[in-house]
Amino acid sequence: MSTDLEILNQVEAEEYKYGFTTDIDMEILPKGLSEDTIRFISSKKNEPEWLLEWRLKAFRQFEKMELPSWQNFEMPEFDFQDISYYAAPKKKTQYKSLDEVDPELLATFEKLGIPLTEQKMLAGVAVDAVFDSVSVATTFKENLKELGIIFCSFGEAVQEHPELVKQYLGTVVPSTDNIFAALNAAVFSDGSFVYIPKGVRCPMELSTYFRINAQNTGQFERTLIIADESSYVSYLEGCTAPMRDENQMHAAVVELIAMQDAEIKYSTVQNWYPGDKDGKGGIYNFVTKRGICKGDRSKISWTQVETGSSITWKYPSVILKGDRSEGEFYSVAVTKNKQIADTGTKIYHIGKDTRSRIISKGISAGNGQNSYRGLVQVGPNAAHARNFTQCDSLLIGDRCGAHTFPYIESKNNTAMVEHEATTSKIGEDQIFYLNQRGIDTEKAVALIVNGYCKEVLNQLPMEFAVEAQKLLAISLEGSVG
Amino acid sequence: MNTQITSSLYDQCIATYNTEQKEGTLAAIRKQAFTSFQKNGFPSTKVEDWKYTNLKPFIQDNLQLVYGETSTALTKEIIESALIPGLDAYIVVLVNGQLQKTLSHQINEKGFTLLPILEATELPAFQQHFGKYTDVTKHHLTAVNTALFKDGLFVHLTKSQVVEKPIHIIHVSTAKTDFFTQPRYLYVVEENARLKVVETYITTTQVKAVVNQLTEVFVGKSANFQQYNIQTGDANAHFIQHTEVFQETTSVYNNYKFSMPGISFLRNNLHIALDGEHIESHMYGLYLSGGAQLVDNHTIVDHRKPNCQSNEHYKGVMQDASTGVFNGKIFVQEDAQKTNAFQQNNNLILGDKASVNSKPQLEIFADDVKCSHGSTIGQFNNEALFYLKTRGIGDEKAKTLLVQAFAFDVTDKIPDESIQDFVNGLIEEGLK
Repeated sequence: MSTDLEILNQVEAEEYKYGFTTDIDMEILPKGLSEDTIRFISSKKNEPEWLLEWRLKAFRQFEKMELPSWQNFEMPEFDFQDISYYAAPKKKTQYKSLDEVDPELLATFEKLGIPLTEQKMLAGVAVDAVFDSVSVATTFKENLKELGIIFCSFGEAVQEHPELVKQYLGTVVPSTDNIFAALNAAVFSDGSFVYIPKGVRCPMELSTYFRINAQNTGQFERTLIIADESSYVSYLEGCTAPMRDENQMHAAVVELIAMQDAEIKYSTVQNWYPGDKDGKGGIYNFVTKRGICKGDRSKISWTQVETGSSITWKYPSVILKGDRSEGEFYSVAVTKNKQIADTGTKIYHIGKDTRSRIISKGISAGNGQNSYRGLVQVGPNAAHARNFTQCDSLLIGDRCGAHTFPYIESKNNTAMVEHEATTSKIGEDQIFYLNQRGIDTEKAVALIVNGYCKEVLNQLPMEFAVEAQKLLAISLEGSVG
Repeated sequence: MNTQITSSLYDQCIATYNTEQKEGTLAAIRKQAFTSFQKNGFPSTKVEDWKYTNLKPFIQDNLQLVYGETSTALTKEIIESALIPGLDAYIVVLVNGQLQKTLSHQINEKGFTLLPILEATELPAFQQHFGKYTDVTKHHLTAVNTALFKDGLFVHLTKSQVVEKPIHIIHVSTAKTDFFTQPRYLYVVEENARLKVVETYITTTQVKAVVNQLTEVFVGKSANFQQYNIQTGDANAHFIQHTEVFQETTSVYNNYKFSMPGISFLRNNLHIALDGEHIESHMYGLYLSGGAQLVDNHTIVDHRKPNCQSNEHYKGVMQDASTGVFNGKIFVQEDAQKTNAFQQNNNLILGDKASVNSKPQLEIFADDVKCSHGSTIGQFNNEALFYLKTRGIGDEKAKTLLVQAFAFDVTDKIPDESIQDFVNGLIEEGLK
């Protein structure tokens, strides 16, 4: 905490020297990306030398890389020089009480049934939260400390646990992985760090809320979760963003490491601003998420509910290295208006007797385009590997699209891999039945969609599941009739 | 990104084209294809459609472009050995794509024409359909074929005519040096006509044969066309077969493809465009591979209009160190409401070093559709194997039985009994 305040004080003090453009309550680095930008971010955060070196190496990689062209959507034009790479809030709070918050935002929270404290957090009322790039505080820290659990902002971890960060940073998602991962490695501003010691079962759901608050600042969060032997952790990530007219890019990196017998459960509910009806505005969500089951019998499970963003482009992956390790991926992706989702997973079976399960539910409405792209790879040593994949698409309206691109590669003759996919629409008979029972069409659609997604929603922690169900209903409002 | 393979064969193709005459009906089409080939060359594995299949070892420098060379050694006995027992069919023999009249049957059916492709260029039916269904800018090897082909067949059946007996085309590959050929076929089956074609392959040479075949098929309104393709051969054979099918309203097209061990490299592209309502298309494939074989099946089914039905079922059995590749795409365009599309790919990996890459794809732009696909990779059910053994059935026989049972979904769909028996025989042989 104190270090954060120190950083903030430094930022204030050095303002003139580095030519800041000052907003009312934001510190923003001028647009542009160069080695100097990186040196600036690194010095701002008081980082050790090795981390700066690591960032610079990633930046040199980034400069050599090109934007990919295989995606199933038209890539918006990017000017990496037109983004500001650092924004830090000077103040911790935006409002003193909920009364000052935009009532429309509150109405949405109300519909989602978010608890009051969380509402405050989301709206930026005096509760500590990840607020733009510098994470100001993290909840329940003291309780966790007693168990030896480290849950703090990335910047703090760099200062207080440099040995852990150094050991694991970039081991799952190397900076050479893809252009956005390289960019993130070069300019990442903050994020979360979690370490669960041996044999500890984390007693609460760890959560953090990200908000993109300053216009034109791409957010480059970095999350690193390490579950040591026989530990367990469930991590939640939920996102909201207020209305913006200009596209914002979010290129985060999430790395999960599960040691022997450890289990990590990572859940995401993403409802960033999807752009207006014509697809104007909205967030670009280009996130690299990957976990490794390093030890035997470890398990990593990804659950995601993606309803926001104008473009969602991510493939949370699992590397099943340990024998008998397990990987899971549960996803619901909703696209409407001009939204695009190109998402799925990659599962690499390396160890023996590894198992994976993929359940993906895509819902397209309006002009939305939804793609499932997945890879299941069984290596020559992954004897008796087992995979089951199911990806279903639901189409609402005649202008939307659903696409499936599964890649299935097996090099082992004892492996069993199954994939199935279906595409359908909501049955008129189903709607009719519900109408008959006095449920209007909109509610009926929400009900059917929730039933359709149940397999995935069931995987979410309870409070989140309730929120996600309501979110689905809200997302699909106005898409029928 | 390097999307081309560097090979002197590329230069050879360019040089050959440049020495050719550039006049006549085909000049414009050839020129377009040539320009596209000149630009794109042979695809490397960086091209998504060739991700799992590296052409490099097959596009070698010492290959010669060969046209219509006939072997004197080709006798009636060799042809007879290639017949399907019990199948009453018209026999057509092609050597490197060139029609051998002396070894082929004379077909006197009403409305039926079968000609070497270059002799048909002035016919209206040829001009109406030739080159209309293939996009040479998209598919690298169709461009080579279009620019350079000289051999092949034109088969035409006019309106409301029926040829009851199947046409059995025996493709013979033969030459003195390692070669690269470009046979070209065009089938035009007009309104209400019905035709059945069976294709088999033999190689009689000891040299390497790379055959880049392109087939275009037009199935007119309410017509019915059945195409069987039984691919057998030895390690010298390398086949790239591209088939483009265009279907009109209420037509039916069935494609049966059987790939057997022996052939070093097989790449099948089957593209079907359903350009009308109430069309039915069925694709049945079985690939049984052995040795270091590479079998690659790519299919595209393009639903353009409402109320059509397509059904695809491909099954693979990989032995030894062979590799199987499957990529099936189903497109359902915005207009194609009430489409019913199904696609399934099942693989059985038997060999320790065998591998399978499967990529079933759906791209759907219409909402009132029923589309599904499935893909599995697995192996024998050990319990079933054990059960058979307890009944006194030997290991080898039991495995054959299980593979035949696995293949049954596909082989059972063959309506002609003699072809079915022939294929079952090939499976048994292929497992030895």
